[in-house]
Amino acid sequence: MNPEPTSLLQGTLDLLILKSLATDEMHGLGISRRIQQITQGTFVVKPGSLFPALHRMEDEGWISSFWGDSENNRRAKYYRLTKPGRKQLEVETERWGRISWAIAQALQMP
Amino acid sequence: MSLPAKLRSFLRNLFSSHRVDADLDHEVHAHLSMLIDENIRAGMSPDKAQRAARMELGGIEQVKQQVRDRRMGNWLHSVLSDCRYGVRQLRKNPGFTAVAILTLAFGIGANTAIFSVVDAVLLRPLPFQDPSRLVVFHEGVPKMGYPKMGFSPPDLAVFAREQKSSNAIGAFQNKHVNISGRGEPERVAAARVSSSLFPLLSVQPILGRIFAIDEDSPGHNVVLLSYGLWQRRYGSAPSILGQTIDLDRQPYTIIGVMPQNFEFPLRGTEDNGSPADLWVPMAFTPAELQGWGGSYFTSVVGRLWPGVTLEQARGEAESLGPVILASYPPALTKVFGNADLKVSASPFHEEVVGSVRTLLLVLMAAVGFVLLIACANIATLLVSRAATRQKEMAVRTALGATRLRLVSQMLTESLLFAFGGGILGFMLAFWARNFILGLVPSSIPLPRHVALNGSVFAFAIGASIVAALLFGVVPAVQVSSASLQGPLQERGRNATPSRSHHRLQGFFVASEFALAVVLLVGAGLLIRSFGKLLQTNPGFRPENVLTLNIPLPRQAYPGAMQIQNFYEELLERVSNLPGVQSVALANDLPLNAREMVSIAIEGQGSGEGETPQAICQTWVMGDYFSTMGVPLIQGRSFTAADRFESQPVTIVNLAAAKKFWPGESAIGKHVRWGVNAPWQTIVGIVGDVSQGPLNTTVAPHIYRPYNQLPGPFLEEDPFSDWHAMNVALRTHADPASLTSAVVAQVHALDPDLAVTGIQTMTQVISSSVAGPEFNMAMIAALAGLALFLSAIGVYGVLAYVVAQQTHEIGVRMALGAKPGDVLRLIVGRGARLAGVGGLFGLGAALALTRLIKSMLYGVSAIDPLTFAGVVALLTIVALLASYIPARRATKVDPMIALRYE
Repeated sequence: MNPEPTSLLQGTLDLLILKSLATDEMHGLGISRRIQQITQGTFVVKPGSLFPALHRMEDEGWISSFWGDSENNRRAKYYRLTKPGRKQLEVETERWGRISWAIAQALQMP
Repeated sequence: MSLPAKLRSFLRNLFSSHRVDADLDHEVHAHLSMLIDENIRAGMSPDKAQRAARMELGGIEQVKQQVRDRRMGNWLHSVLSDCRYGVRQLRKNPGFTAVAILTLAFGIGANTAIFSVVDAVLLRPLPFQDPSRLVVFHEGVPKMGYPKMGFSPPDLAVFAREQKSSNAIGAFQNKHVNISGRGEPERVAAARVSSSLFPLLSVQPILGRIFAIDEDSPGHNVVLLSYGLWQRRYGSAPSILGQTIDLDRQPYTIIGVMPQNFEFPLRGTEDNGSPADLWVPMAFTPAELQGWGGSYFTSVVGRLWPGVTLEQARGEAESLGPVILASYPPALTKVFGNADLKVSASPFHEEVVGSVRTLLLVLMAAVGFVLLIACANIATLLVSRAATRQKEMAVRTALGATRLRLVSQMLTESLLFAFGGGILGFMLAFWARNFILGLVPSSIPLPRHVALNGSVFAFAIGASIVAALLFGVVPAVQVSSASLQGPLQERGRNATPSRSHHRLQGFFVASEFALAVVLLVGAGLLIRSFGKLLQTNPGFRPENVLTLNIPLPRQAYPGAMQIQNFYEELLERVSNLPGVQSVALANDLPLNAREMVSIAIEGQGSGEGETPQAICQTWVMGDYFSTMGVPLIQGRSFTAADRFESQPVTIVNLAAAKKFWPGESAIGKHVRWGVNAPWQTIVGIVGDVSQGPLNTTVAPHIYRPYNQLPGPFLEEDPFSDWHAMNVALRTHADPASLTSAVVAQVHALDPDLAVTGIQTMTQVISSSVAGPEFNMAMIAALAGLALFLSAIGVYGVLAYVVAQQTHEIGVRMALGAKPGDVLRLIVGRGARLAGVGGLFGLGAALALTRLIKSMLYGVSAIDPLTFAGVVALLTIVALLASYIPARRATKVDPMIALRYE
């Protein structure tokens, strides 16, 4: 497996998940739809990527989970941002700014 | 992931994996249900909604598996991918990889090989039960110049009776015996041991039994075989027990076989350090037990009572000196009263390893230096390579790799190098250690074989990891800390390395030279010492002299007359051989004088009697001095007329004449042996001949005619070499060519005699300097390796600099710089690095060389000539190594260089 694309995807996905949880706690499907919404449909996160990411981030301590009732009264697992998660969101945001600047520079090279 | 979080997650996954799994299952199912709900709300039929939801989800089990993979294997995954990536990197640069791994293999291999010896000799306890409680005791007469000797038989009896600190006292003594009966006659190393020795060491025979207490007295001819001898000579036959073999033509009954790994006496034991092939009871004869004042040859070991400290044992030993002295016959007590007899105690382990500790530690330090140099070399290579990889690192940073991740990635590569080198090095050590041990001369008490055990393997692994950190960390941190913008904005193919890279490489190369200089100075001092040793005049002319040892078995030659007649006859026959110039007989040879007696000098001493003086003694027959080429300075040599019936005569060496009769002639003076012996007249003075290693000062020496050796003494023979005399012949042609002719003459007299110790005096000299030669060769080889690696280091860095600065050099040349200027620029950089490193190295050497003072002879530890020589050598090597890349720089074509980018 090539580490680079994973790192990219992972780093980006983490950032997007953290961002969507910044305002509200939500379940997996909610997060997926929220990302779709805030990226205006650019990123569609499949459950196969979403759940591993959620569980990893929970292990990292950035988000925590609890069981609650969905809007349709189904039992669903909800996620919310923890304090380290908020900090991580700041770090990731700043890092992303750097990266996008660097990539832009790189692409402008003759 | 932080450590606590990692731990928590790990434990959670480990202990509640079932609950975690169920939770995940619920979550994924809930997700699916919500997707279906969503689709239905969007107007799909329930059927279609379900199918669409399942398609979006992509399979419940797959999703769960992906979560599990991620959870369990995140850490492992990154390690594996680092390794895979690392291997790919190493394979991309096969040349670089091969050089680095080979360099490391040599470094780690040398360290592991030396460590395996250090481990076996210094670190492992002696192979006996509770070895820390074992002590050795020595007698000593410091006033006579003998601070440390063995015990004499009567003294040992008193000591063993009076001492209280040890629960047992064991004694042993090396000797040589001829085995005959059942197979070829051969001469083997043997040891006389007290019956208390093996129980004290807690060793059991694998076959039969050990000596009984009542066998430790004359008349009990029993023998224990070593495993090696049993296997080699008797085909490991268990039926050997109870059988009889002949030792020196006397029948001995085999009562047991000792274990395979049992080696005793241990190498390194003073006076008695030859592992024996067989053991016989000590069984002191009544004459030995009354031999006061001589034969201090028996090694004594004791096992301290529990609770008794070494200090207490030392105190007691000291207090027993006067007690022993008081047991001497009154006449001797008076004589020895002034001599101050001492008894000392020291740990057994210390006695055995004391003489090789310095050598082993110096070797360990030297190979450590070589490994450090190898690491510095690889570090400079890595820094060069890292500079070219800066862009890759920047891109990876941009793509989200953290700095830690990059460092760990690069360290993984270093570890791969190190383990590659480590495995190869371990294999090298496996082969090299016994090769090196095979080179060790017998005068250095090191084992001939050591096993590679777990701790040696652990050492090799540890050395690899430390090496990887040493050469990996700095380049890794250096590269990963490079700024992002720089490399990405560079337009060129390769980023121009920053100044800090050059500084770093400079530091590594300078350190290499510093380390190499320390080794070179050490090697230089040892080489100079060895040169001085070879220049030392041994006091005789060794060329064209052949010597052979012809021991006469006591049983076949019991009487003094028989012995003396045999040797006289042999001398006569050999002197008639063609090509023989002169021939002589002596009980010991130059450089190996062993017999030490105390003599009384007429008219010297207190009113009570003469003060005893220790003196080397050699019994000779024939033209000894002209055969050995020892100059007669004054008086006459011995003649055939000096016989037992005539007046006792002696010849002394210059050292004795100067010491005992300063300012007057020794000729005509009288000395005697013991108290009541007749006075002997000194008839001649000869030049000083080295009695021991060439680096020791020549002691007083007395020569006596073998024909005047009193018969009863010869028959008792406490020294056991009066009936094992050496024949020496000076020849006209190559001395070795006469060997078979001389042996034929021996066998013409007695066909059953064994002839041993056939060597030329030139060989005697070279084996006497074999120890220093080995030390010198080992250190010199390591220093050479160090210098070579350093030269490669400076070459590599300069070649890299030249390649990197092709553009700059081109510009300079376009602007009018001459090739000479460019040459100076590059060579100057190399010389600066070597100079700075060399300076630090010289400083360190000044401080460190005194540690090898005990290995030096005739040169001071800060010998200016050696230091100057090393500086010269270093300069030449550094200039040569710099010259090649510098020349390449001068060949730069400005046009091409400017278009190079």
